[in-house]
Amino acid sequence: MSDKLEAYLEEISHFLSGRAEREEILSEIRSHIKEKAAEGPGEFTDAAIDRAIAAFGPARKVAERYVDDRPIIAPAYKRYLVRYTSLLFAIHAALTVVAVVFKKDFVIFPLLYMPRLGVVDALMYLPAAFLADLGLVALVLYFVTQSGKDVKLPWPKFGVDLDEVKPPKKGFWTSRIPTAIGAVVMLAITDFALYLFARHGTVFFVNLDWRDPRPLFMPAAGRYISMIVIAGFAASTMALLVKLLTRSRWVDVVSNVISLGLIGLLLRQPVDGLFAVRIPERAMTSIKYSVKFALLFIALMTAIELIKHLVVIGRRKLASASRP
Amino acid sequence: MTDPELGIGSLETEMNRGFLHILALALLEKDMYGYSMVKHIEGLGYRVEENTLYPLLRRLEKNGWIASKWDLSEDRPRKFYSVTAAGRALRASLLEVWRNQDRVLESIVKEIPNV
Repeated sequence: MSDKLEAYLEEISHFLSGRAEREEILSEIRSHIKEKAAEGPGEFTDAAIDRAIAAFGPARKVAERYVDDRPIIAPAYKRYLVRYTSLLFAIHAALTVVAVVFKKDFVIFPLLYMPRLGVVDALMYLPAAFLADLGLVALVLYFVTQSGKDVKLPWPKFGVDLDEVKPPKKGFWTSRIPTAIGAVVMLAITDFALYLFARHGTVFFVNLDWRDPRPLFMPAAGRYISMIVIAGFAASTMALLVKLLTRSRWVDVVSNVISLGLIGLLLRQPVDGLFAVRIPERAMTSIKYSVKFALLFIALMTAIELIKHLVVIGRRKLASASRP
Repeated sequence: MTDPELGIGSLETEMNRGFLHILALALLEKDMYGYSMVKHIEGLGYRVEENTLYPLLRRLEKNGWIASKWDLSEDRPRKFYSVTAAGRALRASLLEVWRNQDRVLESIVKEIPNV
């Protein structure tokens, strides 16, 4: 008869595990439910136990009422989690770029070990670095919270303060004029690039003589790079057109992810034997590093934009979920 | 701007928190166990959530404002609570706060016609 009651208490016990007074709590709840079930019209039945359990509430909710510990991170420090992680990750990402460009590994003991990385390694390394930074900041804020002291942490300001990002207050179409202009310009650029590609098989030229254009890259490489660049233009145009209809940040997220993928494809293209024109050996080395550095810099900026959009989406979800 | 998700339920829970402390400290002038307290409060025309009362009693006991002892003499074991001297002092202070709040609210209700 009391199997259901014991199962219910077992469930509460599971959520209270680790608490010294667990048995005492369970005994008292058992006593209460038996008392209530016996009080009904005469009999101490399974149905009466069920009713008493239902009235007492779901096991997890009951257990939570007994837990009055400090939160893992105090509400006042939650905003520091995003701010400090962004800052730390920016430093981490910059060091990654340095490690890739200069082919060096270095250690800032005990906080950071930066191995010597290739381009693809770096792209794989950065998400893990972000999680490590997030964990480190969360750990520090956890200790600050558990100390119970009013620690006043510094609040670094960025160029764009995420807290100050507010939805536009202008009318629907007024707020979309810059987006519409951008979409028209990008559409024109994409069309022009497609026209050049269809006619000459590349969009990169050494001269501006349209009757006798000289391609910058070798035919196969020129086709490959041109297609990637046109895909990038098309993705930006599509994003701007979609943003005429919706202000969702997911559009930016998708656009950033596509851009990062295309930059990754460009970085995989070897620079040796790429150019159709003769370039001196010494200049070639500089060009090789400059191109890689420029692409990595664009990838870094895009990654920061992507993280910013994801953080704003996450914060909005948290804010709507935490409303009482 | 009104938050549509902030209903009477959550505000009532917040208000009840302090009220239940005073209520428990007052009732426990006489030895009572949890279920008898629930029934007594219901008899007074008020309803307290069972899963709120027991954790509250545990916190009061942890702070030394009430004491408890198990009675095993009956068929069913029961945990009886009673208020301590520290609990009585706390109750007096809380009642003072409540009376003051009540006085302020009454004054406002009399002063402002639409409240």
